[in-house]
Amino acid sequence: MSNTQSEDKKAEASQQPQQQKPTVLEEDDEFEDFPVDDWPENETEQASGSTNGNNVHLWEESWDDDDAAEDFSKQLKEELKKVEASH
Amino acid sequence: MISILEELAEGQRQLSGPLVAAALTPVDTSEDPNRLQSFYNFSNAAQISTSLRHYLTQTCRLKIPKQELNAWIDLFSAYWKVVGELLKFGESSTRASWVQVFDNWRDLANVLIRAYTNFGFENWTISCLYVVGKYLRLFASKADAETSAQSSDAFYQEDATTDFGKNAKTEEAARVLNRMFTLCLNDRAPLEASRKWGVYYMTNLLFKTYFQINAVGLSKNLLRALSAQAKELPDLEDFPKSHIVTFKYFVGVIYFLDENYGEAEEHLAYAWKLCHRNATKNKELILTYLVPCHLVNTHTLPSKKLLSHSPRLETLFRSLCDCIRKGDLHGFDTAMTAGEEEFVRRRIYLPLERGRDIALRNLFRKVFIAGGFEESKDGQPPIRRTRIPVAEFAAALRIRTHADSRTRIDIDEVECLLSNLIYKGLMKGYIARERGMIVLSKGGTAFPGTGV
Repeated sequence: MSNTQSEDKKAEASQQPQQQKPTVLEEDDEFEDFPVDDWPENETEQASGSTNGNNVHLWEESWDDDDAAEDFSKQLKEELKKVEASH
Repeated sequence: MISILEELAEGQRQLSGPLVAAALTPVDTSEDPNRLQSFYNFSNAAQISTSLRHYLTQTCRLKIPKQELNAWIDLFSAYWKVVGELLKFGESSTRASWVQVFDNWRDLANVLIRAYTNFGFENWTISCLYVVGKYLRLFASKADAETSAQSSDAFYQEDATTDFGKNAKTEEAARVLNRMFTLCLNDRAPLEASRKWGVYYMTNLLFKTYFQINAVGLSKNLLRALSAQAKELPDLEDFPKSHIVTFKYFVGVIYFLDENYGEAEEHLAYAWKLCHRNATKNKELILTYLVPCHLVNTHTLPSKKLLSHSPRLETLFRSLCDCIRKGDLHGFDTAMTAGEEEFVRRRIYLPLERGRDIALRNLFRKVFIAGGFEESKDGQPPIRRTRIPVAEFAAALRIRTHADSRTRIDIDEVECLLSNLIYKGLMKGYIARERGMIVLSKGGTAFPGTGV
């Protein structure tokens, strides 16, 4: 890694006088080279994610939000009353 | 002591590709800040070949077959030239030029390709292809940036001229990389000694190049070539994980851009699972596409925990996800507008927009839940009220679109939204128009996959 960094620094330094316009837009989004070629299973995201190796924590399991449900229920009743009153 | 030459000699002694590739890495290191300069001082343009030959055969006493030795000497002579070009940047001279660096490095790449096709370079040297390919792309993009900076400094600045040949060197690099790809793919040697092991690395370099010059379509040629050879290639799982993860990421994004979110999710999920847990930036990039895929495919949101690990993802998705969860249509529209530029730039606008249906589904689901339960008969478990006046959905829409009480929401419009959700399978039931009611499916299937 230190190799590429020093290379980049060098490149930047030499380019600065002639070029201010950033070309980083794409670089910022680019998939990076991994610092190592290969790694053992226990260093993968899957292994560190959870004990059973499943992405259980990745996605929201439930849509229920009980506190908000009551609020909404009240709000809905008020709104319905308003509509009835205006008719 | 010249570390580049030592690495070369030691690599030859041990038949170690990574060591020779280290020699070919054109940068100074913290251990040897004069690495390039000392290699350059080793000889001069007229004598570099002779000096290298003497060094390898006399000083290091290496026994390399004659043709192959000549190829190594040609390779490192070409390398010596590039190093000379690179050193000009340090001399604060105006002669330094990335175009020159690129052109010389491309020559080096061609010498290397010939070494494989004509002079018997074996597969242990394959890391040389990696490092030469990697810097070819890097130098090409520096050369293109240099050219475009110079032409925008110049007095003519018509759109037509600035755009023309903007990526000339990168396109040239892509053609050379493609030859390297073929060199790996079509190697007939038995697998244990085959360059086929380099095929995904080269594919990934080409993916990066094509994405950079906005020629994503060309990536599909690579995928076709790979699948035509699928039987002769080693299994993907047998490659190093850095090759696999990068490959899967790009294949996922390619399907994603084709709006094939099902295939895209499979590849991206694979990349995610195998990705190194400390590769934060790459993990964020994978999730940037995986999250919209998952939203479209399963109508599910990322967990709070997942987003909270990354400020970038928080900014990108947080408010949108909150609005979807709450069924906040007004908020959803605002978040889409606020994030539009970023979503478009990352090309995720289209699938995210589909989140509005999920937001609407969640809003209508709240109406259903607010409806409560029918009176239960003799000890039976309570059943939710499944007949709901359309007017209640209309009222919910008024709340969530911030309409004031005088704005009328057309009942026809509400029915249209309802039937649309039913058609898409996000709600189960039918509209009884004559009674102004919607009749939802019983037994916890009114809103499939959400528990009610």
